[in-house]
Amino acid sequence: MKLLDMTRKYGNATYNYPFEPYVVPEGFRGKPAYDYEKCIGCAACAVACPSNAINVKLNEEKTKLVWEFDCARCIYCGRCDEVCPTNAVMLSDEFETAVRFDRKNLLERGCLEVEYCEKCNKPFTTKKLIAYDLERLKRVGWDEATLADKTKYIHTCPECKKDITVENSTQYFVRKRK
Amino acid sequence: MSKTYVVPEEIAAANTLEAKLRHLKNIKGSFNVFRVDCGSCNGCEIEIFAAITPMWDPERFGFKLVANPRHADILVCSGPVTRQMYYPLLRAYEASPNPKVVVAIGACGSSGGIFHDAYSVWGGIDKVIPVDVYIPGCPPHPATIIHGLATALGILDQKLEFKEHDNGSSESPKIDKSVFGNLLFERDVLAKSKQLMGYLYGRKLFDKYIKAIKESSDIQDIAKTKKTIERLSSEEKDPRYKECMRTIHNSVYLAHMKQFKEINIADQIEL
Ligand code: SF4
Ligand code: SF4
Ligand code: SF4
Repeated sequence: MKLLDMTRKYGNATYNYPFEPYVVPEGFRGKPAYDYEKCIGCAACAVACPSNAINVKLNEEKTKLVWEFDCARCIYCGRCDEVCPTNAVMLSDEFETAVRFDRKNLLERGCLEVEYCEKCNKPFTTKKLIAYDLERLKRVGWDEATLADKTKYIHTCPECKKDITVENSTQYFVRKRK
Repeated sequence: MSKTYVVPEEIAAANTLEAKLRHLKNIKGSFNVFRVDCGSCNGCEIEIFAAITPMWDPERFGFKLVANPRHADILVCSGPVTRQMYYPLLRAYEASPNPKVVVAIGACGSSGGIFHDAYSVWGGIDKVIPVDVYIPGCPPHPATIIHGLATALGILDQKLEFKEHDNGSSESPKIDKSVFGNLLFERDVLAKSKQLMGYLYGRKLFDKYIKAIKESSDIQDIAKTKKTIERLSSEEKDPRYKECMRTIHNSVYLAHMKQFKEINIADQIEL
């Protein structure tokens, strides 16, 4: 009886969890939530992810860049959240992540359009990334001519850009010698 | 580590999906759990023990930890299955009565997690024995564990499902308008705030600072903006935000204004 009185004094400590929602504390690290609309496919998250839970790869036909998140491997460290330039992936409050029988339910995929190099026609980044870059560059206070000049090679892949630079500088030295 | 375990025929025959579902229905009110630690870092164990404290009290659903796989209805396996734990795991699996339900707990149990490509591990329980329920998390929160076990028993529904997005758009995501009409200012403020307070609080600091600077009646006016930031940063309850907002103002804002105007020492806000 005495024990019951004591328990009444301190109240009930048990969370009534499955029968009423559990409110997570502030700063809780839950499953990273992916916002497909915002993702530009820069793959910064895939590089940062220590457990390779996020993979960004070209698909078989090289027509799409596939962003894939495997919740089974995520350790909720938040490094993807930290590096994402557009906040497309952010840790959420979601903790009810268990699945049964089918592991595929833990995956999340986003397919992005691929940009092809205008010189060699190889895929090298996504269309969204180029659009995003241009959009941002328009707002850094350059005039039209500077912008056009600086973004001349934006649709060229890094390999071809290298070739162009070598070509240009060779011609420069040849002209100088003459 | 090329040859993996092949489930013996009599175990496979007694462990069909129907048999498991029937079994799960029968044990809904009371079930015994045996915990197999297959080389986990003990984070998952601590959370399992947190989940069976009175705080979460899973005995409401009949959850009971047992010390012997022969008594178990459910095997809860954690860890990425190290080479040493390979045979003990198989022995526990074979010893438990049919039909057996295997729960892989933690990122390690579900897929190998952070150790998935280490040389000495198998990389997940499902590489060795058939797994029925996955509870990801590193370590999973007690609520996740309870949700997982309740999902296993069919009391709760699973929340996640496979998602694939593809709308074929190549439009740029929306970009917020710059306060100065020059995004380089926002970029510098964000870099500085992340440097000062880390990514999570840094982002909050960035939002606070940009909100505060928008309150200023004339952003180009150094004295007025200084007053606004001074006032709004003093209103912050957390002294870290106050100091960091002022630091950003002194370093980033004044450096930015230097392009247009003379800056003198009096323009700085005292920390
Ligand atoms: S939270 Fe960490 S482990 Fe999870 S996807 Fe992001 S970077 Fe990878
Ligand atoms: S870092 Fe962000 S924008 Fe880049 S690929 Fe990852 S989610 Fe997409
Ligand atoms: S999932 Fe995380 S906490 Fe659990 S055993 Fe693996 S590393 Fe440790």
